[in-house]
Amino acid sequence: MKAHMSARRAIVLAAAIAIAAAGCSSSSSSSTSSTGSSSTPASTATGSASASTSAVSTSQCGTKPGVAATGTPIALGAIATNQPGTSFTDIPNMANAYFACVNANGGINGHPIKLYIATEQTNPAQIAADAKQLVQTDKVVGIIGNTSIIECSVDSSYWQKLGYYIVDSGIAPECYSTPNSAAVNMGPRYSSDGAVQYALAQHVSKVVFDQSNVPGTGYIAAGPAALAKAANVPIVQLTENVPISDADSVAIKEVDDAGPNGAVILNFTPPEALVILQAAQKLGLEDHVKLWGCSTPCNTDFLATSLGAKWNNKLFVNAELTPPDVTNTTTMNLYKAILKQYGSAVSGGIGSFSQMGFTEAEIAVHALETITGAYTVASVNAALKAVSNFNTGMLCQLWTYGSYPLHIPNNEDYTVTPDNGKMVTAQGCTQISSVDPQIAQYRSVAGTAATAP
Amino acid sequence: MGADLSLRNTADRQTSRRRPARPQLIRIVTITALLLFVLFGFPQLLSLYYIDTMTQVAVYSMVTLALGVLVGRVGLVSLGQIAVLAIGAWVAARLLFATTQPYPVILLEAGLITMVAGVLIGLPALRLRGLYLALITLMFAGAITVVLATLNFPNGGHGFTGYNGSLVHIPPIRRPSIASSDPAYFRYAVIVAILMFALVLAHTKTKPGRAWAAIRQSEPAALAAGINTTLYKLWAFALASFITGVAGGVLAGAVHYLYSIGFPTQDSITLLAVTLMGGVYSMWGAVVAALLYQFLPALLNNWGVSADWLTILFGLGVLQVLTTAPAGLADQVPKDLARLGRLLSRRFRSPAPGKTT
Amino acid sequence: MPPWSDFEPFIVSGLALGGVYALSGVGLVVLYRATGVLYLAFGAVGAMGALTAWSLGQAGAPGWVTWLTCIAVAALITLVYGLIFGPALSRREPLVKAVATIGLTLILYGLMDLLWTTSGGEARSLTLPSDNGGFSVGQVQVNWTQVIALGGAVVITVGTGMFLRYTKLGTAMRAMANDREITATLGVPVRRVEAAAWLGCGVLAGIAGLLLADLVALDATTLTFLVISSLAAVLIARLRSITVTFVAAIVVGLLHDLLTPITSLTNYRDMTPFVLAAAALLVMPRSQVMAQSREEA
Repeated sequence: MKAHMSARRAIVLAAAIAIAAAGCSSSSSSSTSSTGSSSTPASTATGSASASTSAVSTSQCGTKPGVAATGTPIALGAIATNQPGTSFTDIPNMANAYFACVNANGGINGHPIKLYIATEQTNPAQIAADAKQLVQTDKVVGIIGNTSIIECSVDSSYWQKLGYYIVDSGIAPECYSTPNSAAVNMGPRYSSDGAVQYALAQHVSKVVFDQSNVPGTGYIAAGPAALAKAANVPIVQLTENVPISDADSVAIKEVDDAGPNGAVILNFTPPEALVILQAAQKLGLEDHVKLWGCSTPCNTDFLATSLGAKWNNKLFVNAELTPPDVTNTTTMNLYKAILKQYGSAVSGGIGSFSQMGFTEAEIAVHALETITGAYTVASVNAALKAVSNFNTGMLCQLWTYGSYPLHIPNNEDYTVTPDNGKMVTAQGCTQISSVDPQIAQYRSVAGTAATAP
Repeated sequence: MGADLSLRNTADRQTSRRRPARPQLIRIVTITALLLFVLFGFPQLLSLYYIDTMTQVAVYSMVTLALGVLVGRVGLVSLGQIAVLAIGAWVAARLLFATTQPYPVILLEAGLITMVAGVLIGLPALRLRGLYLALITLMFAGAITVVLATLNFPNGGHGFTGYNGSLVHIPPIRRPSIASSDPAYFRYAVIVAILMFALVLAHTKTKPGRAWAAIRQSEPAALAAGINTTLYKLWAFALASFITGVAGGVLAGAVHYLYSIGFPTQDSITLLAVTLMGGVYSMWGAVVAALLYQFLPALLNNWGVSADWLTILFGLGVLQVLTTAPAGLADQVPKDLARLGRLLSRRFRSPAPGKTT
Repeated sequence: MPPWSDFEPFIVSGLALGGVYALSGVGLVVLYRATGVLYLAFGAVGAMGALTAWSLGQAGAPGWVTWLTCIAVAALITLVYGLIFGPALSRREPLVKAVATIGLTLILYGLMDLLWTTSGGEARSLTLPSDNGGFSVGQVQVNWTQVIALGGAVVITVGTGMFLRYTKLGTAMRAMANDREITATLGVPVRRVEAAAWLGCGVLAGIAGLLLADLVALDATTLTFLVISSLAAVLIARLRSITVTFVAAIVVGLLHDLLTPITSLTNYRDMTPFVLAAAALLVMPRSQVMAQSREEA
């Protein structure tokens, strides 16, 4: 009896696994990640944008307006973190929106682009598996739009081995320190550099740099440390475990350490930064330091609206991308138009996330359009590597990939500050100082890119 | 009706004569065949995505096995098994970076050190029972999680912690030289898992197993019967910690990079949920639990379905197991299938006698 | 060691944090005394209510409507759970009943992330009118919400303690939590008492959820698993005394924040609840541990 029971169990189990796995291993699974039915209201900023979009038609994104692409698809892939509390899916989703626009207007020489998006929950095994899925099963020829807390660390040797030159929105150190990854953003370290640099330029007497305790804190802290040392300003390095459950003590500690003529610079995701800043405000401490600073994640209108007027010209946020609300160029308007028409999966609306997705897609399309023969891993990645001095319309500088051992192509930034619910420019394009050794190393091999017109 | 009854009885008598013949052999042959299929068939059939996923299933089947021993065999609920896994992974990673010892030695060391940690925690904790014990394991897990978040996992640096925060290139944790590719490491992980299952089997079939069964039935009665309950409960803790420590070592090699954010306290809660769902009273339950925990999410991720549906499913599963099916899926599914089989066979057989007469 | 003046502002924030822990902790113990269930879904239920309140607020509903909805949602979920699973698990040991609430927690957690998806740039926050205004203590300001939280915890502690001990309904609840069968045979209308207990629990969870969403963060993960840290106070009181839970929660909060300025310990301060709970449990006298009474878990 028992033998048959367990034998039956074994067979049921084996059959189930074999069927499911065999059925799935051959499937080309594209996953436009489902962001679900968001019951959250749309960004307050999209309202103001609609006025300027009327002048631009989205058909500008492609080479043959109105002609749908019907050839064999060019497969590209992206890996993005999507877990409770952290979701970067807006970035590849916006890239996908751009590709949808291009596909509807001529494609790449008649070929549509198909973007496979794999999501992950900061699990190294899953991330490695996702990369293999994209390459082996989905047969992607390029990786565009990766945005993940640890993906660059986990997969960089895999991309190097296979010859993929990825264009991503970097976070982990390897996104900036390896030959196979070039980011459109500056990432936590160089963005924090920008925020600290701005504070130092306001002649603060002390800097407190507080960041979330996620992988890479030492790497990130090294940048601000170098800047503060060069300016002869003492710096206090702090880390907080996230999610933060006692923002009060965090705020008090930061303010105490900074002193009345000091600056508190934060490197957190928007919800955590918001909690700290709100706690500081509730405790009445926002004016107890000379200024507050924040790396790029704080650059959202949501934050500006939630914080209120007390933070106008008090909080200075480093902006890695051109502020959308005050820019009226063709590219910016095209971005807003594409977001409106094709970007239903982009839940965050106008903001740096969708801007990054747009920029990465722009670069990809620009590179793909230069290819004359077949679209293979070799040809596509050679084209991506060859992107040089490209004006994305979203960055301070012209963007270059190039054959360098490390890539920090975006190293010039704005500083913005909240102004009654919106983020406005406080300082125009300013280079990140070469005092940061990594920046110095990059500039020694790649030079300093020209500022975009 | 009479004819139909006798037909059934003759058939039953014939099969019942065949059934008790060699149950043990059939079982062993089936399991061996299944294992061979897994070891050699899977790498041929599955894509690398699913091989990687199955490696994780192998790793976590050891963890759910350990938890199943605690919960099912001894009746101790631990809400901190993921923290123990993290300790095992930490020790293994540190040793892998600091020494050039062969992999099996490192796995053994990781298991033993984790076992010592488990015993150290277990000694004071086992003065408690039931809900208190579960909650104190949760408290220990919370404390360990905070310590790991501050010390971080080794990444090739020096010093006791082996963590260098400023690295721009993090070196990967090495794998055994014979199993560096993903399919080879999958086989390696499965073999280690088989050894761990064998270890548990060796325990349950002998004296500790009987002592545990007695303790689970009624601790005062076991005490009265002269069983040293504290020793055997500690033994269970030690065994569970050893196995989980070894699993941590295999995990370190599987993922190459370890981060403290990968071991949050709430994962221990999900682990308990899937272990209950899989079934804590049988070893198959551990495999089912690991499939629920690692294979299903990978499947859903591939299909673009949000992992939240799984969280909801696990919650429902816990409620279902606790209210109606205490032995979990591993026991319930075969029973349900057997019931379905009997229902179907009854439907097929009833018209037959009418036709023959 | 930093000078004493450095610790001063942390006493205030520590008391506020203690109030946060007290709200959850006292709620959990009250629930345990009234229903025999350690309601681990306390945080999740409150979070669900708070997120619903937020959504309504975004849609334009007035403040008081959103707060009542928060409490109603929490009460409804708790009542439904209690009516279905209370009787079903009533004969099982407290550990099983507590693990069952883990099931509810997971269901709610998954549901919350589906309904209120995490979007990259978005940060939700819930503010109450009592946030504006307060008074200063030293160099920091205390806002009325923190006072309400602390005060509310005190009221709940005293009020429910007296309710459970001195009123007929409260005594019936305690009897039911101890042994449902015998209480039924004594002629107590068990179903009605049970419903009242669960409803009261749900209301408590809703109030706590609203306050915690304001004081801590409006984030499903944070609020759901805050209950783990609050368990420390519950464990120190051995799931029995509501007053001890309250005092323990304050102590945990105070100690946690007072460790902040000490540089060598500051990164470990999140361990405070766990270390204190473990220490308190381990100095428990052996006789109490081996007791067979169902109330002792």
